[in-house]
Amino acid sequence: MPFTRVQELVYEMKVSQVMSRSVITVRPQMPMSELREIFRDKRISGTPVVDGDRLVGIISLEDFIKWLYDREGDSLIENKMTRNVETLYDDEPLVHAVSKFETSGFGRFAVVERRSGKLVGVITKGDIVEGLLKKLEIDYHEEEIHRYRASHIFEDIVADRTTLAFEYDVVGRDFERAGESSSRLKRTLKRLGLDPGVVRRVAIATYEAEMNLIVFTEGGRISVRLEPGRITVHVTDSGPGIPDVEKALQPGYSTAPQWVRELGFGAGMGLVNMQKCADEMEIISAPGKGTQIKIAILTGRKR
Amino acid sequence: MRLAEIVEKLGLAVRTASGHLDTEVTAGYASDLMSDVIAHAKKGNLWVTLQIHQNIVAVASMNELAGIVLVNGREPEAETIEKAESEGIPIMVTPLPTFEVAGKLYELGIGGIP
Amino acid sequence: MERIVTTERVVTGETSVGSEVGAEKMTLEEVRDILGAEVLAGAHLLSLEVSMGCGADLMSDVLAYGKPGSLLLTGLTNQQVVRTAEMADIVAICFVRGKRPDEETVEMAKRQELPLLWTRLPMFESCGRLYRRGLIGVSESTD
Repeated sequence: MPFTRVQELVYEMKVSQVMSRSVITVRPQMPMSELREIFRDKRISGTPVVDGDRLVGIISLEDFIKWLYDREGDSLIENKMTRNVETLYDDEPLVHAVSKFETSGFGRFAVVERRSGKLVGVITKGDIVEGLLKKLEIDYHEEEIHRYRASHIFEDIVADRTTLAFEYDVVGRDFERAGESSSRLKRTLKRLGLDPGVVRRVAIATYEAEMNLIVFTEGGRISVRLEPGRITVHVTDSGPGIPDVEKALQPGYSTAPQWVRELGFGAGMGLVNMQKCADEMEIISAPGKGTQIKIAILTGRKR
Repeated sequence: MRLAEIVEKLGLAVRTASGHLDTEVTAGYASDLMSDVIAHAKKGNLWVTLQIHQNIVAVASMNELAGIVLVNGREPEAETIEKAESEGIPIMVTPLPTFEVAGKLYELGIGGIP
Repeated sequence: MERIVTTERVVTGETSVGSEVGAEKMTLEEVRDILGAEVLAGAHLLSLEVSMGCGADLMSDVLAYGKPGSLLLTGLTNQQVVRTAEMADIVAICFVRGKRPDEETVEMAKRQELPLLWTRLPMFESCGRLYRRGLIGVSESTD
């Protein structure tokens, strides 16, 4: 099972480690009409209702929309809020939160301190995903993990599966920096606890692809998707294209300039190596139209 | 040791200039960088490389090398074969990698100081 | 050098296969002594063992034929050698022919805890000496 590290973390980590602490709360006596600004300005879709420091309910964007839709006069929040609030304790393992989200269908839970019953935070699915990834030391900005994937990851953790996507922009002709993207990718895959043989194959294929972008194009993009059972590496550029793909796949066939050869690359093994590492490989290329290479590596089985 | 003996002992497949295996091999030289071979390989050296481009023939000829062993199952390109035949440079191939070819030659007493 | 017999367990799905592999492993300290090499990075890692040797100046060939656990011997000294080692799970690099890598390359290796050795010996001589002392090549490895 390739994603054990994520699964371990779901048991190891506590709700308090990923919840957001700067909780925006509202009072039960606040008029519904004031929620409009809170939801808009704070970009939240729900908030706990607190009387003193006691949690008395939760009011969501859905409740608010329903109130608008019913075209009643203004009303107090306490009349529209959900009262029997299900909460999580701050010291519960994340896995409890995960299962509670799944069974209830709610988008957020208030977190209370077990001892005092005081509201200490709010937790959403996004918080869990973000917390897990941070724990795995994956740098959000560097690797541009797609936020829209967040909900996916969440469902997949529950279903014993995980989907992640990474994207790297490679600058052409910058030989010194060649391999930086592949290096980052490799470290991330290692941290995710994938099989070392699989990690090595993905790393080598990506490195060769990155090298090709640098040697032959002005740059391009490497997208990597981790799905249950497979890793897909998609490399695209708008460079010169490959005139004869079949020929380019022959070991030793090369159109690389001499300077590249003296640097240890361009010996006509790049595409061959990618193919060697891949379980599936597809090349779409035409002169002047750029190149697209799709490599799939299956993670579920040994070679 | 003569090249013909090496060919036999290592089970190398001769691809070109099979009439030129009488040369005495002075030492082995392993390199995949042309500029390095030009600068350092000496007369009578047996060159171990994975380069298959026709330039290897010119380099071997210029430095008067005994022959070229292509490793990792590489086959010489058509132009390379043509050129090697006309220059009388023996090219041999083996599925073994450089490390093992050098190792086995070393065990046969072929030194690695050009 | 002592002869070490390792028992490797390869787990394939539910079944696990135990295979006996007889291979000469060599510590980096031994490699250093055999090649009269200087240590440029990872002096604290000389007890690491390499299980085979791989000699090449073209990195694509290392990526194609190199195996995890190898010692890479190369005359190429740029940063891509360190990158290649990283990608291919190479244990250590020994630069041959007396060409020294630049500071940046050494620094990169240090950050990655990748030991770097440096010898004046040519590639052929280096491979020959290590092979004679029992280090096997990648095609002889059953890994």
